[in-house]
Amino acid sequence: MNITAEISKVLNHEIMKGVTLLDIFIFIVIIAVAVIIAKIVRLNVRRALKEKVPKTTLATIEKLVYYTIIVIGFIVAIPYIGFSLSGLLVAGGIAGIVIGLATQTVISNLISGLFLLAEKPIKIGDGVSIGDVGGVVKDIRVLSTTIRTWDGIYVRLPNEKVFTSNIYNYNAHAARRFEYKVGIAYKSDADKAIKIIEELFEQHPLILKEPKPQIFVEELADSSVVLIIRIWAPSSEWYGVKTEMLWKIKVALEKAGIEIPFPQIVVWKGEEKG
Amino acid sequence: MFGKYDLNEEIREEDIEIKIGGRGKIKRYYRKAGNEEIEKIVSAESGNLYVVPVEPVNLPKLGVAEHLMIELEKPYIIEPYIEDTFYLKFPIEIGVFLVDKRDVERIDIFTMAKQKYILYGSPEQGIICRWWKSNIYNDKPEVNKTQEGIIRIDIKNSYREWVEVKKLVFRAFDMKIFYNDYAYMHAYINLLKKTMAETAFNSRKPKNMNASIDIYEAKGIKKFEKKFVMEWGL
Repeated sequence: MNITAEISKVLNHEIMKGVTLLDIFIFIVIIAVAVIIAKIVRLNVRRALKEKVPKTTLATIEKLVYYTIIVIGFIVAIPYIGFSLSGLLVAGGIAGIVIGLATQTVISNLISGLFLLAEKPIKIGDGVSIGDVGGVVKDIRVLSTTIRTWDGIYVRLPNEKVFTSNIYNYNAHAARRFEYKVGIAYKSDADKAIKIIEELFEQHPLILKEPKPQIFVEELADSSVVLIIRIWAPSSEWYGVKTEMLWKIKVALEKAGIEIPFPQIVVWKGEEKG
Repeated sequence: MFGKYDLNEEIREEDIEIKIGGRGKIKRYYRKAGNEEIEKIVSAESGNLYVVPVEPVNLPKLGVAEHLMIELEKPYIIEPYIEDTFYLKFPIEIGVFLVDKRDVERIDIFTMAKQKYILYGSPEQGIICRWWKSNIYNDKPEVNKTQEGIIRIDIKNSYREWVEVKKLVFRAFDMKIFYNDYAYMHAYINLLKKTMAETAFNSRKPKNMNASIDIYEAKGIKKFEKKFVMEWGL
């Protein structure tokens, strides 16, 4: 038996109307080649642009390049399995309704994803809180958004949830404010304490010159005079500044002889006359 | 201190000490600036070490700011439709680069100048800038060469009214720094309105000066001449 003729017979065997096994094989090969080419091009785009464009733009460019190549591969391959593009468009109308009903959640996520990409309330690398999840945005895909929580856990949020939740983006603006409350003893000089803290802030590069830090007496509390300290820092750096400064304030005040008191109660003992 | 050096060299100026050297390919790079010290191992057969002034937006952390704001000690007021020239001081950061025929590699950046940042504009729309304060000088001022450079400002009031200027903002990406024993830039300011101006740089090399290594070009980023628009006040 001629093996070549036998293989040819198998390959040319019609599975569906006008579609042979060879056609399906060619379809798979074209899609596979498109995926491989897309991956290679994406890798090269990443290498070429890594240090030249911001991370978020790079991620978008990578995705655009990757999916464009896949779609081109798909358009080239699809006639081999008996679909013409014009037929697909007509069939797509009817199929769209059926599929739309069956995949409501997926479509909802997809549409939400498109709105998120257009509206851009978050970007890759932003520190955010979405609903009850807080962390750094790692990726914004068509159907879902992935977040690395502050403690390093991977969380995938469906885009519909992201779109309908309250989003707190800690990096959306250039600068942000945070505050401390520091209590000093009643016997200490509040003006002197304010001056010492202002001088300390002047030495720190990331405590912004403008908007100026605000330091003032907020309350004459039970055990101390409470100072409110409000600091503006670049949004990308505020947390580091916040964790650093409170202790430095404490050390600077104590060095200048300003006491930070414990809670205390003054008790007067009465004596009976006669 | 600025210039091109061999890979066996010791440079000292004021509180700055830079050493590179060693036997064979393995070299030790050591730098002390004030109280800060850094040490790296370099493997090289050829090439040079360049110590040059660079755009002052890299420290304490790259990415915090991309602009420099120079606040004027005293407000400057200019008549409608006239041009003027004056000089300011600007802070410098010092970049150390390894350069051979094929590539430029930044190995160190440090500064002796005070570092402070400021918000230009509102928190929602503004930008973070490296901050510096300078007097206005009619002629090139004396500078502390390890901390400051000189920037020549050619200012033009294109507006129909008198304009008061309290600060100037420049984009680091547009900067073109030159040096001999001090750092130098040449900028143009075009006052468009009472609260708006364009700032740009002259990239032509002055006589007897060398062009500094541009950190953006060293990263492979192509630069094209652009203007920065100060739209949040002068």
